[in-house]
Amino acid sequence: MADQKRWGMVIDQSRCIGCWTCAVACKEINNQPLGYWWNRVLTAPPASSAKAPASENVDVPAGEFPNVSLAYQPTACQHCQDAPCVKVCPVGATFRRDDGVVLIDYERCIGCRYCVAACPYGVRVFNWGDAQHADDFTVGYGEDYRSDGRLVFTPERPRGVVEKCTMCAELLDAGQEPFCVEQCPAGARVFGDLNDPNSEVSKLVNEEGAKRLLDELGTKPDVFYETAARRDLGDGSTQSGSGA
Amino acid sequence: MMATAHASHAIRSRLNRRGLQAWSGLLGLLVALGFGTWIYQLTQGLRVTGMRDVVSWGAYIVTFAFFVGLSAGGLIVASAAEVFGVRSLKPLSKLGVLTALASVTCAGLMIIPDLGRPDRILNLVAHPHWASPLIWDVGIIAAYFVFAAVDLTVLHRREKSPTGLAKTVRVLAYIGLPTAVLLHSITAWIFGLQIARTWWNTALMAPLFVTSAILSGTALVAVVAVAAQWFAHVRVPEQTWRVVTNLLVVSLCVDLFLVACDYITILWGNVPRERAALNLILPGGSWQTVFWLEWIVGGVVPLVLLMTPRFRSSRALVAVGALLAMVGVYAYRIELVVGGLVRPIMQLPPGIAKGTYQSDKTSFVYTGTYHPTWVEISIVIGMFALLATFITIGYRRLKVLSRPPESPPAPEVAAHVTAPVAQEALT
Repeated sequence: MADQKRWGMVIDQSRCIGCWTCAVACKEINNQPLGYWWNRVLTAPPASSAKAPASENVDVPAGEFPNVSLAYQPTACQHCQDAPCVKVCPVGATFRRDDGVVLIDYERCIGCRYCVAACPYGVRVFNWGDAQHADDFTVGYGEDYRSDGRLVFTPERPRGVVEKCTMCAELLDAGQEPFCVEQCPAGARVFGDLNDPNSEVSKLVNEEGAKRLLDELGTKPDVFYETAARRDLGDGSTQSGSGA
Repeated sequence: MMATAHASHAIRSRLNRRGLQAWSGLLGLLVALGFGTWIYQLTQGLRVTGMRDVVSWGAYIVTFAFFVGLSAGGLIVASAAEVFGVRSLKPLSKLGVLTALASVTCAGLMIIPDLGRPDRILNLVAHPHWASPLIWDVGIIAAYFVFAAVDLTVLHRREKSPTGLAKTVRVLAYIGLPTAVLLHSITAWIFGLQIARTWWNTALMAPLFVTSAILSGTALVAVVAVAAQWFAHVRVPEQTWRVVTNLLVVSLCVDLFLVACDYITILWGNVPRERAALNLILPGGSWQTVFWLEWIVGGVVPLVLLMTPRFRSSRALVAVGALLAMVGVYAYRIELVVGGLVRPIMQLPPGIAKGTYQSDKTSFVYTGTYHPTWVEISIVIGMFALLATFITIGYRRLKVLSRPPESPPAPEVAAHVTAPVAQEALT
């Protein structure tokens, strides 16, 4: 399967400025209703994403003045190779395509929310009621999209099913990049084929040591992070509870 | 003398008739209210519940897990009578299987209001995904339902032709015991296998579920038997009570022991990720109510009631002890389901979006909160009323506490002969 693509993404946390453009772009192209966020820009301790954050509020740096540091971790579906959500879905509504994209069949999902409980990254969104939109909200990719006949995106949200980042499957299949990658003003997102050793993503993963979130769980995400640790202060100070 | 007894019996049976009508009316009303509320929920979606994208399972799944537990006791009581030759449990076998059948039916039904798309429930049959513990659970619940129904039919038939079915009853008991253990283990694995929830992810989960199921299931049988004794003047032999009370004590102790093992492991290890949920539950945390309900109201108090000789000789106090133990098990189910969800493994500011919007509030939640709404409470109460309805109907139709025909005429069983008389009064 030399031709088989495996789509992956590397997010460079040392470039991310925490502006939420990717999150808003995602919300826009996917016509996400109010209160839904497929993609969030989390405030993270620079040394490691697993450590306790400095505060429950965004933009609060870790450490004591003047030795403070700040990093961001844009977080959406990690498109795991061994995805807990795919494993637990009782009806096979969540599935992983051969190119690594994890999708949800809106017409198959029974709304049991087992996948929401099973996802370690907290990236799944349930349609609790009828979707609300702001009056002047512009609709991005405004039509149904089917992958192998299965409805994996629809702008009018059906009540009672789970949804999440699709890695913009409709754009990928048309030869384009995901919208968050295109929109990032800091160039923090790199997208490409992980099966191609010469692609930029492969190089970042294999040579620059890009890491997976919660790697120890063995979910094997195809989304990687270049940590901001190189901008850390060296003493590893990521004290918690010092913030506002 | 005989005449007076007869007259008072007539008065009692009239009172019982009134009481039964009131009881049936109340249950009918509660079931209707619950069903009506579910229809309302169907029109609105699950946004009328207290669940959101952080705490995405609530009262429905808590009650589902509780009902699954209740269904154990019955079959375990009934099967233990055969498999381990606990003869003194035999008078309760039929009642045990009836409560098992009623509970497992309600457990299955309890899932429906939790589904976002209940109209697609047949996808579970049409497109089963075998890796999912939820599919295993669907299978075992269906199997358990069929098994309990068959067992109940056989036990009922046996009363008409006592000789023929003894072997069948025995074979069924040998199937029933492992099936019950499997049912509780699989339901436990829905939670216990999840790597994303450290609070759930322990090998103790299945033993804990099996134990709490024996506890709550036996407690249900005991409560129904005491009620029957109270209202219908059915006599349950003394020896049977002794075994039931002891079974409650032992299963409650083992249950609390297993939970304590879990606490100790987390506390001593002191890994922040694992401490997160426990800190909320231990005294001082925002979920401490479930701790007190589990350890004091549903732990120490029932143990005192069930172990002190003076208290345990009173049927009423045994029933209170059994009820409180059930409260404790329900509290544990809340502690487990909600406790596992409030502190996500990846907890970074601003948290997870709720999935619904309020103009004056942030959409993000850092630590999950959960307060069941009136919709959830009404539906859950309706389901409890449905369970009580099934047990009441089954009790009256099947004469579940009537004298088992093959029982030896032991002295303690002799008191038992009043049962058919009382039941005539009821029917």
